[in-house]
Amino acid sequence: MFAFWSLALVLLDATAGKEVCYDRLGCFSDDIPWAGTVQRPIAKLPWSPTRINTRFLLYTKQNPNNFQEITAINPETIDYSNFNASKITRFITHGFVDQGEENWLSDMCKRMFQVEDVNCICIDWSSGSRCPYTQASNNIRVVGAEVAYFVNVLQSKYGYSPSMVHFIGHSLGAHAGGEMGRRVPGIGRITGLDPAQPYFQGTPTEVRLDKSNADFVDIIHTDSAPTIPYMGFGISQAIGHLDFYPNGGEYMPGCKKNPISQIVDIDGIWEGTRDFVACNHLRSYKYYSDSIVFPDGFLGYPCAAYNLFETDGCFPCPNGGCPKMGHYAIESKGRFTSSFTKLYLNTGDAKDFARWRYKISVTLSGRSSVRGYINIALYGSGGNTKQYQIFKGKLQPDETYTHLIDVQLNVGSVTKVKFLWNNNIINPTLPKLGAAKITVQDGEDGTVYNFCGSDTVREDVLQTLTPC
Amino acid sequence: MKSPWVLLLLTLALAEAFSSQRGLILNLENGELCLNSLQCKNGCCHRGSGLSLARCADKAAEFQECSRWHLTGIYYRCPCENGLSCEVDRTIIGTITNTDYGICEDPARKLYVEEKH
Repeated sequence: MFAFWSLALVLLDATAGKEVCYDRLGCFSDDIPWAGTVQRPIAKLPWSPTRINTRFLLYTKQNPNNFQEITAINPETIDYSNFNASKITRFITHGFVDQGEENWLSDMCKRMFQVEDVNCICIDWSSGSRCPYTQASNNIRVVGAEVAYFVNVLQSKYGYSPSMVHFIGHSLGAHAGGEMGRRVPGIGRITGLDPAQPYFQGTPTEVRLDKSNADFVDIIHTDSAPTIPYMGFGISQAIGHLDFYPNGGEYMPGCKKNPISQIVDIDGIWEGTRDFVACNHLRSYKYYSDSIVFPDGFLGYPCAAYNLFETDGCFPCPNGGCPKMGHYAIESKGRFTSSFTKLYLNTGDAKDFARWRYKISVTLSGRSSVRGYINIALYGSGGNTKQYQIFKGKLQPDETYTHLIDVQLNVGSVTKVKFLWNNNIINPTLPKLGAAKITVQDGEDGTVYNFCGSDTVREDVLQTLTPC
Repeated sequence: MKSPWVLLLLTLALAEAFSSQRGLILNLENGELCLNSLQCKNGCCHRGSGLSLARCADKAAEFQECSRWHLTGIYYRCPCENGLSCEVDRTIIGTITNTDYGICEDPARKLYVEEKH
């Protein structure tokens, strides 16, 4: 049925090859590859710049709460504003149906001001994003051209180097970064937060965001399951210098809540409704926002696939450390020169999303073997964690159980561990088990900590192990 | 502008909720709405204040604030994880209002300290 309609629409739009031209921005055609291909069956020309009404909302450290609207058409508005030409400029762009005055964009700016002094410009193109998807996916070409024009004006007016521009785009907005990068050579960085999949996946590089669009392109994939039938909105192919796939990139923890709990969210009904519609897709900017304040909480482990990462195939970080997902990804610029680098990590299910990965090996001691589970809690200079389950099943003395855990805080150097075992049924023989040896390996630097214990404990009693 | 959409989605959500099997009443994940700790996978139904809604949460780790078991099954501070005890001085008003907070401690630590002396 879908194929039939696609074909019908292709035939309807058989007059492809039209072109529109707008002053300042140039011409936009709907020729192949912009339309008339398998990926983009419906031909639509982008709307005019006045109809899309791309607005640039400037936040700086001087005005973190109220934006100043600036435009390159009247460059004197930039003079009057708090724009500082000696500082880095970060553009943040929303996607389909969203708007530039949505809280997540300005909140991201506020997070940035905690760690750096930048020009944070939220781009609003809501007039062009609230229309059928096929139209919106073409309107972003104009948005990208507008940003390119803006950067060009900065360059001619202040001698502002495009290498100081960082473009952050969510969903469709990410592909606007592609258009901008094609028009302005030497853009410093483009971050794609779950770039949109329909109309872009599998298309040539001139249509979508690609690593050729800037000196450094980093991507966060959070909703990369196929659109049909899984309703994944994000692109799955690797398209940047670094491609991060948190939690495997398809299904995010905390997005499988029952609908009432999802909508009646801690952050309000509006935030909850957004998550109800596109929870996985929106996680990408939440992770990015958290990564600004937790620089080491989002380490991406280079790995061939997520299932290898889940076993211990890609642990610990390689020499030189793991690239950081999100804000600090640029620190790894130029380190991975091979074609595409896929990086994997796990995150939390609610904010704060940051996690720190450890590998735990537990060697049991005792006389009897029972069914049950093993829990471990880590204690270190940075604090102590809750208990994490290492193994569940038949617990046999002298056997070693290994598991990777992602803990909620940076424990720092580990000083002791606590061991606990339990089975959920009453055992009248009151068996005792203990941990003879526990090794903890830090994922970030690969440091191995050894802990020994001599005694055994009854179920639900904590055993403390000290270094040995 | 937003409200009719929200209403529509809520209706859909409710309709779906009552038709689905997973995690509506029991075995709830962290962050899902609850009425009693028995519903939660991680064993704590937590709410920030008397007026806010309760959601499932992790039990308290060592050195974190905690409450002891309470009849209502909803907590302002979650009970401790297995193996830990919530060290708290109970008061009559605190017991009634569920506001006797303590700190999770390892019972073995006390013995260890006593042995050393």
